[in-house]
Order: sequence, then structure tokens, then C-alpha cells
Amino acid sequence: MFGQVLGTEFMKLHRAKATWATLAVLAIMPLGIALFMWIVREPGRAAQLGLLGTKASLAGLEATWLQYFYMLTLVFGVGGMLLLTFIIAYLFGREYGDATAKNMLALPVARHWFAVAKLAVAAVWWTALIVIVLVEAMAVGLVLGLPGFSAELAAAGIAHVLLAATISFLLAPVVAWIAVWSRGEVAPIAFSLVMLALGNLFGKTGWAEWFPYSIVPLLIGMVADPVGSLPPGSYVVLAGTFVAGTTATILQLRFADNAQ
Amino acid sequence: MPDTAVSTRALVKRYRDVTAVDSLNLDVRRGEIYGFLGRNGAGKTTTIRMMLGLIRPSSGEVTVLGKRIIPGETAVFARVGFLVETATAYPNLTVRENLDIQRRLTGSPPRSVADSITLLRLDPYADRRAGQLSLGNKQRLALARALLHSPELLVLDEPANGLDPAGIVEIRELLRSLADNRGATVFMSSHILAEVAHLADRIGIVHDGRLIEESSRDELAAKARAFATDAYTPEEREQALLTLDLERYFLARTGDARGADGRRTGASSEGGAV
Repeated sequence: MFGQVLGTEFMKLHRAKATWATLAVLAIMPLGIALFMWIVREPGRAAQLGLLGTKASLAGLEATWLQYFYMLTLVFGVGGMLLLTFIIAYLFGREYGDATAKNMLALPVARHWFAVAKLAVAAVWWTALIVIVLVEAMAVGLVLGLPGFSAELAAAGIAHVLLAATISFLLAPVVAWIAVWSRGEVAPIAFSLVMLALGNLFGKTGWAEWFPYSIVPLLIGMVADPVGSLPPGSYVVLAGTFVAGTTATILQLRFADNAQ
Repeated sequence: MPDTAVSTRALVKRYRDVTAVDSLNLDVRRGEIYGFLGRNGAGKTTTIRMMLGLIRPSSGEVTVLGKRIIPGETAVFARVGFLVETATAYPNLTVRENLDIQRRLTGSPPRSVADSITLLRLDPYADRRAGQLSLGNKQRLALARALLHSPELLVLDEPANGLDPAGIVEIRELLRSLADNRGATVFMSSHILAEVAHLADRIGIVHDGRLIEESSRDELAAKARAFATDAYTPEEREQALLTLDLERYFLARTGDARGADGRRTGASSEGGAV
């Protein structure tokens, strides 16, 4: 039955504008970073074109592959997490927005399959976006002719981006639970924005590795110097958050009132 | 096999200090059309939601086709078709695609999609997105979805919503044929007296969450006539007859369902997936 549910969840995305919108938003990110790199490298021409204010300071920034990967991780870590929130809110919350949840939940299908299938669709959607945009980012970096490229640097940079994307996904089931609990798309997005702010605040207390929403900021260097690898405790926290979010979503669909 | 398709026992649903359904005892016999009549807010939709396991009773129980309904236990719904409140569908998908989702999740054969499209006369709209359909055609799509897997029990919340007079007659005849020819049980809620009076074998009247009256259509009609004999003015009687005449005239002119002589002029509502 899971195969049938998964197939229908993919069918529901047919002609959905959300898939293209998320690709467009994520695809702009490497272009934005590339523009920034070009401004750093060519401040005179950028100023002539009006892209750089006369008082703007770019001291300490370098247009290199190292910096490019750092910024990619930063943008993917924060922007990506918000984008994934949108995807999850769309998949789970829209069933309530379109009032189709009542049709779905009274079908002869165990309700946990819907939660699992929607998370699986989100995983495929998210992976496809990350792969497409990473390929785009590498191509943009090569076209830009940034110095300092090496296979090791690229492998480490890509691994960092993928780790940030994976962490974002591990936080997704909590967003799914908020969507089914609130029966809509707005609350999960608001929740993620609040958690992102709390994650940054909490990250500065020295307990960043233990608060799920501080772990990506910790990894990408938003709340402290970037860490090469996360402490084991963070992986335990993330795994626990994933399991708790998935369980809460399933229990909500199964036992709570699902009126619209 | 029990001879009741749906039964509720001391069913209660409370939302904080509001009691939406209050000690409801109901028995719907197999093969009958049961009209669940009540004003807006009487508790009809809340009762239907509990029948479908969408919300939990505060106390009491619901049994559908011999199975006690427990939220999350969904196997019995393979034998139940339903339409709850407004007719909804995935707006970015076509009529055919929406029905294909229903087919896959109910394990129905591939031809059931085409059959249900034909049955509800949705052929001209089969490849149109659900979001672009008129209210009446959305209602037809919802009914097609409910009928697609040939259910033993149909639970329909205001099935005539959004349908024009010809469509109402057509759906009425379809439901009657399902009960008479296929033995399907139909539980339909409505706040429209005429709709229930035309179709139901038995009628339950719910008010403030309580079942205040339950009788066969003929018994209820007799009570209503006795009650109303002196209550109508000649003008009111004239108005009621005019409404009936206008409906018949409209149907004859639009040639969709029933001619002025009372005979059907359109395609049969029989056959197909159900």
C-alpha cells in the first residue's frame, strides 16, 4: 500500500507551481553569491555600474573558492532550511488549505503511510533541488574563474553543503507536525522563522550543539567560528528531533480530531 | 451480517462548553435511504465526521457496517463512499487525475475511473482541472469519487449542494437506483426538506445535537399533513404548486432530466462503476 500512497503523493505535485518556485528561489542563491564574489574581485567596475556604494567596505573578503563554498553553506544552511519549511508546509498544510485532508483520512489506508509518503516526497524534492543547485553553483564558480580550486576543497565544500541540507531535513518532521496540528501552511512557516531566531540566540550561549535549531548556525559559523565537524551529541539531538517529529505527525493524523 | 449499516449509541461530541451531538442513538438499516434532516448547526456534519473517524466522540460509539469506528482504523472505509461538507478536490489536477488517486487508494480497477466519469456525466470535463470547475461540477466530481469503488454504504453530507434542478433530479434518481438495484445504503444529511422528502425511506430530524424525531417518510408525511392542514393560506398553497410547476417547466425546457410529461429525456443514470 505504501507504494500506492507514494505514487499518489507524487501525482499531487503534477502541475504544482510550488516545485518550480522552490527551484527558482534556490537557483538564484549561487547567482547572488557569484555576483557578490565578482563585486569583491572587481570593486572599481562594480562601483561604476552602481553595484557597490562608495562607502561600502569589503575589507577582509576574498573572491576565492574557499570563500565561495563558505557563503554557499551559509546561504544553503539558512535559506535552505526556510525553503524546506515551505516544501513541508505545502505538502502537509495544503491538504487542509484545499480541504482535501478529510477525503484523504477516511480512505482505507493506514494514516501513517500518508505521513511517511509525504516525508519521502519531501526528501526526493529536497535532494533534487540540492543536486541541481550544487551543479549550477559549481558551473557558476568555474565561469567566474575563482582562484584556489582543488578537488579536495570542492569535496569538502560540497560535503558541508550536503550536511547542512541533511540537518535541515532532520528538522522537517517537526514542521510537518506543526502543519497538521495547525491545519494549514502559515503556522509551520512562522514556527521555523521563530526557531531560526531562537537558534541564533541560543547558539551564542555555548549550548548550540544541544539545541536542534542552533546546530545549522553552529555548522555554518553564524553563531561562532565554523566547525569542521559536529559533536556526536548534536547528531543524537537531530536524530531524536526527527523521530519525535515523525511520531508526533503520525499520532496527530491518527488520533487527533481532523475536522477542517 | 448485521441488518444495520450504521448505528450510533449514546453518541456525544463536545467542543469545550458546546455540545454539538448529544446522546445520539441512530440505526440505519441496510439498503435504505436515510435522510438526516436538521438546521444548520444541528450536528449533522459532526455526526458524519464521527462516522468516518475524522473526529473522536467525547463518549458513546459509532458502528459502520458492523465495525466499531476507532480513529485511525480505516479498513472499513473500503466499503464506504462519502462526501463531507463542501466538495473538494486537488485543484491543480484534472477530474480524471483526481479520480485516479481515489482509484489507486481504494484498490479499484482502472476502468472504474472512466465509469464514474460517465455515471456522473463528467465526460466533457474529464481533462479539465478541478480548480476550474463550476460548483455543480465540483459536486459531481465529489460524488464520482464517493461512488468510484462501488461502496456498500454512501455517507453524503448535503449531496445536492451547488447542483441545478436538473442535476438534483439526476442525483436523486441515481441514489434511488443504487439503493433499489444494488442494495446500497445511503445516509444523507440535508437541511433542505424537499430533498429529503423526495428521496429518503426514513427520516431522522436532529436538533441541537439530539434526534427529536425518526419515522418513515410516509409516517412523517402524514404527520406533516395533519399538522399543516389548517396552517397554510391559499396563497401559500398556490406558491408551493407554482414552485413545483416551475421546476417541471424548467426541466422540460432544458431537456436534461425529465420532460413535462414526467418521463426522462436524457441518458440513464444507471450503470457504470456503481
